[in-house]
Amino acid sequence: MAALRSTPFRVLGSARPSLRLAAAAPVRGFAQLADGATKSLHASEGNERLKTFQIYRWNPDQPTEKPRMQSYTLDLDKTGPMVLDALIRIKNELDPTVTFRRSCREGICGSCAMNINGTNTLACLCRIPTETNADLKIYPLPHTYVVKDLVPDLTQFYKQYKSIKPYLQRDTPSPDGKEYRQSKADRKKLDGLYECILCACCSTSCPSYWWNSEEYLGPAILLQSYRWLVDSRDERHEQRKDALNNSMSLYRCHTILNCTRTCPKGLNPGLAIAEIKKEMSF
Amino acid sequence: MVSIARSALLRQTGAAGPIARPSVIAHGVRATAFHTTAQKSLLAPPPQRIEGSVNDPAPVPETSPSHGSYHWTFDRVVAASLIPLTVAPFAAGSLNPTLDAILASTLLIHSHTGFQNIVIDYIPKKRMPGIRRLFVWGLNAATAVIGLALYEFETTDVGLVETIKRIWRA
Repeated sequence: MAALRSTPFRVLGSARPSLRLAAAAPVRGFAQLADGATKSLHASEGNERLKTFQIYRWNPDQPTEKPRMQSYTLDLDKTGPMVLDALIRIKNELDPTVTFRRSCREGICGSCAMNINGTNTLACLCRIPTETNADLKIYPLPHTYVVKDLVPDLTQFYKQYKSIKPYLQRDTPSPDGKEYRQSKADRKKLDGLYECILCACCSTSCPSYWWNSEEYLGPAILLQSYRWLVDSRDERHEQRKDALNNSMSLYRCHTILNCTRTCPKGLNPGLAIAEIKKEMSF
Repeated sequence: MVSIARSALLRQTGAAGPIARPSVIAHGVRATAFHTTAQKSLLAPPPQRIEGSVNDPAPVPETSPSHGSYHWTFDRVVAASLIPLTVAPFAAGSLNPTLDAILASTLLIHSHTGFQNIVIDYIPKKRMPGIRRLFVWGLNAATAVIGLALYEFETTDVGLVETIKRIWRA
């Protein structure tokens, strides 16, 4: 995960290969030297590479007006490589009313989660496809209540996160009065879990969560549940398991695995849920 | 033939609509109406309602292993035991009445829990408790009727495996 911490500039400068799994779709990789960037240096005589972005628009100030798709055309040679760069440029130069969340622009805050060309992902980690004949379609996260344009309401998601008590719970003080230590093997169990940034891409891609978001916790929250269940320092193991032991919270997962396919950080919520089920089975 | 040709024609005229519509606003900005399929009001999402305050945690349901972990384990055991039970008749050529009855009842339980999952998934208890109760009891009644039928069939007739065999060879 070291690639996550490097700035786009460093990655651009050294063209370092990303550490992500090779199986990931090329469009969703981290910032690398864009193919277009080299081309534009040599062939910038007049042939612009125009790409059209279709963006979902809905304004709460005009609630009777139906949502619509608005198209914006940008020259890819003058735009950064990622979808978020394009969105920021659209907001700066074409239409200041386009609304979306963004913060870190390097895949660590999870603010810019949206549905791009049918896949939930972070706009800052999603490369703009370089072919110019097809429009890029951007929607808010599916099956969420929309606040405005690309901004979804994640209140229920955060309330559910709070309900699993995502913090260390223990009664016994550490033997030497210092920090709670754990072995290297125990620490290794948290790899692939602690990286979750709660962007809600996985939960909003899960059909089970679409139908039952009031009661089913969804992949992101269950991955976090597992993160606290396997933590060797936590002492509320049984209570945490009991909280999941009902028909709705955990067992609405039918291993559809949209969560694992869509995770922009390459994590595996499906595996975490399977581990919880296994742990609770006997 | 006629209907195929007509639908193609309709599709063409339908496709011509949105192409003609876009209007240029400014700077390559263009707006089109949001096209969706015909509106289905079946199970339309209700307006957003937040229980408690925004900062309250979502309520944690009561612990009930019989609907949770036991139920899940039972489901898997039933599903796994169906594998040898369905392979056995192919290997042995036929099943003795006891094994045949076990196969029939395991199949019944397996389909019952499967349908139960569908009811729980698609008929949310919070939003439509009445319809949920109707479907749960409807499913229970259907399972009971089929169970009775299978019992009759196993005790007075040739049994499940033998029937399939005869139909297959008929």
